[in-house]
Amino acid sequence: MATCGLIFIATFSLVYLFFSDSYWVSYVVAHSNRDLSTFYKIAALWSGQEGSLLFWSFLLAIYVFSALFVYRNKNGELMPYVGVVLAGVQIFFLTLNNFVASPFKVLATPGANGALEIFTRADGNGLTPLLQYPEMVIHPPNLYSGYTGFTIPFAFALGALLARYPGEKWIHLTRKWTMIAWCFQTAGVLLGAHWAYAVLGWGGYWGWDPVENASLLPWLTGTAFLHSVMMQEKRGMMKVWNVWLVFLTFMLCILGTTLTRSGIVSSVHAFAQSSIGNWFVGFLALILVVCFVAYVKNRDYLKSENQLDSIVSRESSFLFNNLILLVSCVAVLSGTLFPVFSEWLSGSRISVGAPFFNKVNIPLGLILLFLTGVGPLLAWRKTSVDSLKRNFGWPSLFSLAVGAVIFALGLHEFYSLVCLILCVFVASTIVMEFYRGARVVRARSGASFAASAVDLTLRNTRRYGGYIVHMGMVLIFVGLAGAAFNKDVQKDMQIGSTLQIGRYNLLLQSFDSKPERNYTSERMVVEVMQNNKPLMMLYPERRFFQTNQESGTMVAIYSTLRDDLYVVYAGQSPETQTPVIHAYLNPLVKWIWLGGAIVVMGTIVTLLPNRRSVLAFAAVQEPTAARPMSPSLAPSVTLREGHD
Amino acid sequence: MTRMRRRKTLLFFIASVCTLALGVSATAQDRAKQIGGKFMCMCSCNQVLTQCNHVGCTTSTAMLKELDQSLARGDSEDVITQAFVQEFGTKVYAEPPKSGLSLVAWVLPSVYLLGGTLLVVFIISRWRSRIHLETAAASGGPSGISAEELERARRRVARETED
Repeated sequence: MATCGLIFIATFSLVYLFFSDSYWVSYVVAHSNRDLSTFYKIAALWSGQEGSLLFWSFLLAIYVFSALFVYRNKNGELMPYVGVVLAGVQIFFLTLNNFVASPFKVLATPGANGALEIFTRADGNGLTPLLQYPEMVIHPPNLYSGYTGFTIPFAFALGALLARYPGEKWIHLTRKWTMIAWCFQTAGVLLGAHWAYAVLGWGGYWGWDPVENASLLPWLTGTAFLHSVMMQEKRGMMKVWNVWLVFLTFMLCILGTTLTRSGIVSSVHAFAQSSIGNWFVGFLALILVVCFVAYVKNRDYLKSENQLDSIVSRESSFLFNNLILLVSCVAVLSGTLFPVFSEWLSGSRISVGAPFFNKVNIPLGLILLFLTGVGPLLAWRKTSVDSLKRNFGWPSLFSLAVGAVIFALGLHEFYSLVCLILCVFVASTIVMEFYRGARVVRARSGASFAASAVDLTLRNTRRYGGYIVHMGMVLIFVGLAGAAFNKDVQKDMQIGSTLQIGRYNLLLQSFDSKPERNYTSERMVVEVMQNNKPLMMLYPERRFFQTNQESGTMVAIYSTLRDDLYVVYAGQSPETQTPVIHAYLNPLVKWIWLGGAIVVMGTIVTLLPNRRSVLAFAAVQEPTAARPMSPSLAPSVTLREGHD
Repeated sequence: MTRMRRRKTLLFFIASVCTLALGVSATAQDRAKQIGGKFMCMCSCNQVLTQCNHVGCTTSTAMLKELDQSLARGDSEDVITQAFVQEFGTKVYAEPPKSGLSLVAWVLPSVYLLGGTLLVVFIISRWRSRIHLETAAASGGPSGISAEELERARRRVARETED
């Protein structure tokens, strides 16, 4: 508690130094200036290496304090080990904060008597323009909360292994913590993608940059863990695998930050090259050794209690789900590191860019999407042929029919077509599950169908929350499928001239330049017309920040469920000095952000306690309100063997 | 041929030439986009050349201009690629070429997938063979089940089949 309190004081002190324009502190000078708005002075805290590491310690302290507080009088055999692991991680980051990358270094110069004298600068250098965007205030906290959050399951897994703590209890204890970390990681990754889309002005949201990849890697293994953990909970299987998945997820969080802070790989997002990477490499090596030794010494305790009964079962679907997630993770990691390896081996650095990652990961993503539809409807242990027909017959036929219609409408791009067919398949299996369950609840309670679906979800939040998360993933895949049909046009524009893209006609009404408080803005006023009727105005602009002599784009986006009209002011033509407009038409992008919101919502639902007991009591109190159940519904009531 | 007819023919000819020129121009643009998509922008933005929209990026502008000039000269894709690699080094590739050391980058994901699948199949078959052995051993043993075993089995069934 004392550690947590002291870290809070340190963090808020740094925030105060930003707000009080203390330009005698090196970090404040480097990342702020007097004209920077209050909103971005908060974001300045994590905009540089030193501040972001303090912020990491701050978030970690919140997690550590919360975990130790929640379990303060429980699990006496386990918690001392967990506490030691958590303290070890916290000590590492505090060492960096205090001795390696302190954000509290002051500006000083040798005085006449040889002693250092503190001096104050009139103003700071300002915040990087790329970071002066609203999402930069929420994206890093989310992502860092994900990274630091995985420390809790890691500490419990290692602690349980060291203490030879019996059974699956550590998994029950950490499930919610893992879900919270995963939810933050998901939100962080998607907010980062949205920031890249809205700020970088290249018309895309995911460029497979090493820093983007670093955030994706622990997400992939964390997702694998959230699925395979059910095998251990239900059937006492995959104990070794789960422990190593948690270890791996935590190590990938550290590896990600190592890559971005050491300068090993080049990235637009990376911090400046520094020797801090050696500290992370050392820490990573230490974690690996500790985990390996703990595993070798206590591996007998991790023996499986059960075996697999059938290949067509929930267990095997989880195995394949884990396989695909892990293959994707390793492929992304090896692609990210390949330039480094190629330089070591051949002396020349070979780039691995977005086309490579797309070619490798799109097929894997589609297999995963297929498993998302199939896995939850397979029964534990063994699934009968009847069950397969009942669960997958209609969704398969329906998705193929929709695919045929889409093909007939002219969509012939292979991966997009397959993706959309699979999206329809998965969505229809989920809808069917809700429909069947809600029908049973409705037959019992007489409530409306929507109310029954809500009741159903609240009775088993974990299972139906999981379905909501899957539905969100389906929407994300729908959005990704649209990328194959992106269009773009670039044109030098005179005032009054027009540009046609898709069904939109863009008319340049005016172009001006005006000084603002912290920057000078060059702005286009563009009227968007559809079918010769005015639709709306867009204001793409470029901001020039005098303090650090850098520029940033502000993209103007008109977003609909069908497509995004994405307009960038691309500067003035060197030959004609006329403004240049670069317009993109990106189909279905909005579905990605919508899907992300649903994934987060579904995760929150899974964290809610079940409402089963309250409803059971209500049913006893009001027997007359219950309608007799149709005999045809009876088999659905018993459901299949153990779904989650 | 009447004057009117001659004029119509001329107009048709001009329109055809314009259409053809536009078509050729569109093809050249598509080709530039397709080939440009195979290179990285060298301004360290880590983006594909045709997608770099870095504010004030002079590098991508110069590279795209060079690409357009090469296409206008009628250079083949191989010649353009060689020229870019000679000028910027192998880091100009947006994706590793499928030869030499770079081939490893392409082969690795398939190796992971194949190796992982074999591992999963091996694990499943081992688990299943254990099941068969246990079933055979159980069928050869005494038929009576103790109350304790029955209770343990009940607990297990309840745990494994609960929602």
